[in-house]
Amino acid sequence: MPKVLMDHHDVELAALAAAGGRREFGELVRRHGSAVRSLLRRMGAQVAEADDVAQDAFLQAFEKCAEFRGEGTFAAWVKRIAARLYLKRKARDARYVAEIEPGEEDSAPGPDQAGLVDLDEALKSLSETERLCVSLCHGAGLSHPEIATAMNLPLGTVKSHVKRGLDKLRARLSPDVGQSGRSTHVG
Amino acid sequence: MSADEFDPMIERLFARSPQMADASLFAAEVETKLHSSSRVRTLALTVAGLIGGVIAVRESVNLNLHLSNDQAPVAGRVIGQGLEAASLNVQGAVGSGLSQLGLSDVTLGSMGGMQLFWIAAGALIAIAAAGVVRLSQDV
Repeated sequence: MPKVLMDHHDVELAALAAAGGRREFGELVRRHGSAVRSLLRRMGAQVAEADDVAQDAFLQAFEKCAEFRGEGTFAAWVKRIAARLYLKRKARDARYVAEIEPGEEDSAPGPDQAGLVDLDEALKSLSETERLCVSLCHGAGLSHPEIATAMNLPLGTVKSHVKRGLDKLRARLSPDVGQSGRSTHVG
Repeated sequence: MSADEFDPMIERLFARSPQMADASLFAAEVETKLHSSSRVRTLALTVAGLIGGVIAVRESVNLNLHLSNDQAPVAGRVIGQGLEAASLNVQGAVGSGLSQLGLSDVTLGSMGGMQLFWIAAGALIAIAAAGVVRLSQDV
């Protein structure tokens, strides 16, 4: 990899890629591929599926590279493309549900010892839809209305999923809240 | 920790994603796909261009120009005859070229020029409609 390519800013590389520069785009993939794949896995995709969707997202990004104006980061832009592609795939499978599952509230496990839980582990305590909504909101940067449209869910439902998901994550990831949550269960 | 404090924290956690061990391999796979899709597109366009070109040349060779007209003004007749002569020269040259390539007897069944035109137009409309459908699915 020539050093000069590594020194380019994402916006410059994207501009070169928009002019057909596949090598420049390859550098962008090298830089942000892991972030996009991580997001997809956090959304609930299996490893192979996440890689497939991430590849498709980058191919689509290459086609649309001229549309990237550098208002946000390139990684955020590709993440949004990848998140939407994954949602489309899931919608085909009709795997996520529109309603909040009854009795789901108490299903979240309590905090681990000293709150030492990483995000990927903590996300596993969320329901599939909560996980998707939280990841889309805080990982892919989609607004609540955008998530509602993309997932074909009512806006209020999306907000509920995000709130409940964040509450569960807070209980898992934040030691002080976790301890108080645990004492509530014990008491 | 309050929700106000937790929201930025969760965003920082989401933003923090370690570089995967196979990042280079993944990038190489994407680059390979880019190359292959580009090759397929180039090939398809080349083939389509060649087929279209051959049909266009074949049709122009078979075209009969009736530009001279007794009732046309003298200047118009002169221009018409000039065009006809030039056209015949070009047709002859192209015809002999196609003969050398063994394409002089290429026929497309019993289809005439208009039929071919409408078939091509129909195919283009179908492709455009498929593109619109695909686009609407992507949006």
